[in-house]
Formats: sequence, structure tokens, C-alpha cells
Amino acid sequence: MDAYTSAAAGDRSIRFTGSWRDYLPIAATNALLILCTLGVYRFWAAARQRRYLWSHTEFIDDALEWTGSGREMFFGFLIVVAVLAPFFLFIQFLFPALIARGKADAAFGIVFLFEIALIYLGGFARFRALRYRLSRTYWHGIRGGSDDPGWNYGGEYLGRIALASMSMFIVYPWAATRLWSSRWSAMSFGQLPFRARLTADGLKARWALVYLVPIGAAAVGAILFLGILGLGKHHIGAGPMAGLGVAFLGIVLLFYVGIPLMTLNWYAAYYRKAIGSTTLGDLEFAFDATTMEWLGLFLGNLGLAVVTLGFGITYWGYRNWAFMVRHLHVYGNIDLSDLTQSTTHAPREAEGFADAFDVGAI
Amino acid sequence: MRRARRRASPTPSTSGRSDALIEGTLYDGTTGHPHGVRVATDGGRLDLRQDGGWSDSVDAALLKRVEGPGLRLGRIDRPGWRLLLPAQAEAELGTLVGSHERYGRWIDRIGLVPALVSGAIITAAVVGVGYLAPAWIAPHVPMSWERNVGGAIVGDFGKMRCRNAAGQRALEALVERVAPGATKGPNGIKVAALDVPVFNAAALPGGYIVVFKPAITETNPEALAGVLAHEVAHVRRRHVTEALIRELGVGALIRMFAGNIGANAEQIVSLSYTRQNEAQADSDAIAMLKRADISPKPTAALFARLSKEAPEFSAAFLNSHPSSSSRAAKFSVSFDPQAHYQQALDRDQADALFDICRKAPQ
Repeated sequence: MDAYTSAAAGDRSIRFTGSWRDYLPIAATNALLILCTLGVYRFWAAARQRRYLWSHTEFIDDALEWTGSGREMFFGFLIVVAVLAPFFLFIQFLFPALIARGKADAAFGIVFLFEIALIYLGGFARFRALRYRLSRTYWHGIRGGSDDPGWNYGGEYLGRIALASMSMFIVYPWAATRLWSSRWSAMSFGQLPFRARLTADGLKARWALVYLVPIGAAAVGAILFLGILGLGKHHIGAGPMAGLGVAFLGIVLLFYVGIPLMTLNWYAAYYRKAIGSTTLGDLEFAFDATTMEWLGLFLGNLGLAVVTLGFGITYWGYRNWAFMVRHLHVYGNIDLSDLTQSTTHAPREAEGFADAFDVGAI
Repeated sequence: MRRARRRASPTPSTSGRSDALIEGTLYDGTTGHPHGVRVATDGGRLDLRQDGGWSDSVDAALLKRVEGPGLRLGRIDRPGWRLLLPAQAEAELGTLVGSHERYGRWIDRIGLVPALVSGAIITAAVVGVGYLAPAWIAPHVPMSWERNVGGAIVGDFGKMRCRNAAGQRALEALVERVAPGATKGPNGIKVAALDVPVFNAAALPGGYIVVFKPAITETNPEALAGVLAHEVAHVRRRHVTEALIRELGVGALIRMFAGNIGANAEQIVSLSYTRQNEAQADSDAIAMLKRADISPKPTAALFARLSKEAPEFSAAFLNSHPSSSSRAAKFSVSFDPQAHYQQALDRDQADALFDICRKAPQ
């Protein structure tokens, strides 16, 4: 009796209703306050931004709600700094001390261990940030969360990234997809569990392109270079020389434009597949942003920042969120009487770890 | 905190009671099911009624505003409890539930403009003190403390150090030549040559001066005298202590709030001096050369040469220093055609210095 059907009759079940004009006062005052507080305000700025974005995102019949506060994010950050700062300071002293004593091997060994710890904490941070965001997101008075503290996820993240890097990141699609599945399958909304069964099928070709384009460019460049060496023995006319110059320019462009484009091409497919293979109870998700649309988002962000002499950066969060919601589709039924309150614990350190390591949540 | 009571029947009419009933939606925070309710005010309380006979009365002190479409109320004692009312209810209930949190409680309390002004003043003060404090504090740090810190960081340089005894004597003689008495006493300067293939020289905490091999073998004793005099000036003026305080104290604090301590942690302590410090050290060096009857021309020539060399080669030495060509000019101008300049080292000393990094025959 209480079942809501999502995406009825072509209507979008999830909609973004914000407008950049409404958001302008928030963006402007956030930027001013961040500047005037040496950056301390950024936690409150993030909370305000999210309150606006969440409350202008409607799912079926009601808006989402962000209940996180700047205060808790600030304290979360302080907790993480208090935990990590002594560690960082120790390394800061230890490294030059070992170098100065000629123990470079030991110094770089310690830095290597330190890097490993950072990768572990990076994975852990990403998990905790997702868990925190779900725990502060309400819809119909129900919130999400996770009972998994994320320590194991940090280990899994470290293992898979280590494996991927040992293969020169050739197996990265397997690592990324498994990690998505592990992360999201540990999350829930109300009592409904998220389930993600993401595999690397259909993604490998795009990842191969990220690899093959630069390798191909390098190969063509090498052939051209050898060709010039060979021709060097004879007299070369101005025409062929100019042609070679253009070819080299093309190769350089391929590196600087081709690699980011191929990477974007991979991420576009990755997100479509990842979100498409994730479910919440009977709800299914889809995401339809194409490579070109992602490119438009990034170039738009960049252009906005340039044209507004940097102020536009305050709109990046807004634009990214609007982009995600506009390309997100939700299908299926949700029984509201069955959607009962989450009993998960909400992390106290908020996004402290993610903040310290500068990682995203999704 | 008073808990809301559940009642079988509506509260009898009391003073301040409004008879206007507002239709709204209630989420109880237990399930996602929306309950249709009619709402009225009753003094400092909010009365909720349902068609089935259910009713509730909530103390207004427990209510808070929640951002979202229309008028949304939550309860501070029940996460997820939400009352959704049309925007017109604002007229009836607005005063009962107080105002919205706008910028964050600490800023709302004083107002946006006062917050911006006081924030700007505090920021300016913090930046100003952060900039000036190291220079104020540095002269008051006991040399013995700095020796301990420096000793811990620097150590004995291990295998990197050039240990040719005659060369070491010549290097110390060169320091004594520009700064008589500088290497003597408990706080004497300890100078070391390091077998590192980079053109560089540096003053380190604790009165250490290190000279890398190319700075010895690719120059002459007169130019090296100018470089050493510059580093001696950094030590004597406590610029090293100042840089250490700046790096570890204020720098760390500002970087912490600017976010992403993870990436910053990978930067090791890289001491850098302010431009004033560099200019002062240059002036001191020129005075020392003059007193020692050493021509400033070779030092000027060295800077002129460095300014022409590939930037990546000279970057280590030039980093944060004033531009080499302007320094060359400064040293060059101090040349006195009337003066009777002498050699910095005699022939044997110069030869020994050149061979400082050569391993002694077994």
C-alpha cells in the first residue's frame, strides 16, 4: 500500500531543482569567509553547500536532507590531525637525519613504508567519507550508513593497489571494480543494504586504450626519429622536414590531450557500469553521462574559473553535484513502511581522514 | 529536556491557542512512511493530530528548522523526525521555531559583516606574526638547543662526507680566512664537504655548513670563499634557526589548515630563507671578503656563470635566492681597483682542497 514506484511514466525520479542564482549568495559568502578565516571556515562552507545541494535534490516525492554540520567536520579534522601529526613530524625529522648520516637506504626504506601507510589510510579515508556522507543523508526521515569501520577495506585497498602497481596498472580495472563493490556492499540506507556486483567486463578495452595510445604514440615517434637518423646521411629537403615537425607536434599533442581523453573515456564507462551494477533493496540505478559530457563538465569548470578569475571554483561542487544528479536514474519500488531507520553508527571523525588525504567519497 | 507526550485526545484549549489547522506531513524517524497530520500551535507547544484520533504535543524548544522546500521542522531529541509544512505556515509558526542557521552558529551570533571584518583582522595578525615571529624568536634560541637539534638532524654525513684530512684543514682555513675565529669554540662552525654531484652549499641547523663537491672542484678558492662567507653569515645571523622555526612552526600550521597534510608530509624539511635574509647574507659576505683582502670578482663571476647555466642545474642553489645576475652585479660593484687583493689560499692548500673528496690511498 505504501510502495512508491520510481520513474513513473518517464518522469525522472531523481531531480536537481537548484539554480545558480539561488546558490550565488552561498558561494560568495563561503568564498569570503574562507579567505577571512585562513581556511578554517571551509568545514562550515562545505556543510552549507551540501545543505543547499541535498535540499535541492528531490527523490520521488521529497528532497534529500544533509544533517552534517561544519562543527563536526572541523572537530573530525582536528581529531585526525592530532592522531597523524606526531607521526608526520617524526618522519619529517627522521628523513633528513638519516640522509645526513649517509643512511640513504634506511631513509628511503622508511619513506617507502610511510607511502604504504599513506595508501592504506587513503583507502580507509575514502570508505569512512562515504560512510559519513550516508550517515548524514536523510530522506523521508531515514538515513544511511554502515556498521563496517573500514579497517579491512583499507587493507583490501592497499592489496589491490599494490597488485595493480606491480602489473604497471595493467590490471587496474579489476582493482577499481572490486573496490567499488566492496565499498558499496558495506553500505546501507535505512535497513536496506546497498549491493554492488561490478566486474571489469566491458571496461578492459577502454583501459587498454589508456595504455595503447601513449605506447602507440611513442612507437610512431621512435620510428620517425630513427627515420630522421637514417635520412641524416642524405640531404633532406625543407618539405619533408616540416612534415616531420608536424608529426612530432601531433605526437606531443597525443600525449597531452590523448592520455587525459582516454582516461576520461575510461572513467565515463566505469561510472556508468559501476552505478548501473549497484542496487539498494529493490531500487536499481543507472548513470548515463558520456565521455563528451564529462569533458564538457571539466572544461566548463575550467572555463568558469578562468573567466571569473578564480571565483568560479566555488561553483565546482555545485556543478559536479548537479551533473551527477542529472545523469542519475533510479528504477524500481521502495516500500516506505518497510524502510526503517538505520541502526548504524555514524563516524565521529566525520570526513577528517578524507580531508587529510584529499580523497573523494564516491 | 522535556520529552513530547503522546496523548489519546487533543489538549484542551488554553491561552495562546490557534485554531487554524495546517495540513502537513510527518515522518516519525522510525519508518519512511509519511503520516498526514494537522498542526496547530498551543502556547509554546505544537499540537499534531491525525484523523485516526492520534495526537501529539511537542515543546517548541525541541524544534529546529531544517533546510528544504516549504517549512521543515526537525526535533533535536529525535533524529529523523520531520514535519513538512507548506511555506505559508511560516506566518503561523515562524516565530515559534526561531530562525534558520545561516553561516554557522559562531558567525550567526555576531553577524556576517562583523565576522568578515574580525576574521580579516585576525588573519592579517596571524600572517603578520607568522612572518615576523621567527625573526624575533631566533636570536633568543640558545645556541646549545640549536646544536642539539642540528646534531640530531645532521649527524656525521656517513659515507657522503669527504674525509681527506689535508683537504678538510684547507676548507677550515678558508672559513677562518673570511671569518677569523669562526670554527673555534663550543659554538664554532663545523664545515664539511660532501661527495654529492650537485652544485650547492648550505648552512644547516647547529652551525653546520656543507659544501657539495662541484662547488669545490668547479670553482676557485676565491669564489668558494664568497660562498662560504655567505653561509657563515646565515649561521651568525641565526637565519637557519629562523628558517627552522618558520618551517616547523608557522608553516606547518598554515599548511595544515590549507588541507591535504598527506601530500605535504612527503615534503621533507627544506629550509628556505627570506629574500631579506639572503640580501643580508650577501652584504655580510661582501664585507667579510673586503676585510680578508679577497677580491669579490671571482664570486661575482661564479654567480654570473650560474645565471647562464641550464636552470635545472643551478635551480638547487638558486632556489629562493635573489637572481644570480643581480647578485653577481652586487659582488662586482664592491670590487675596489685600488685594493691589494690577495689569494684566499696558498698553492698547497688550494691543491689539498681540490682533492678533499679523493679517497686516501689504502
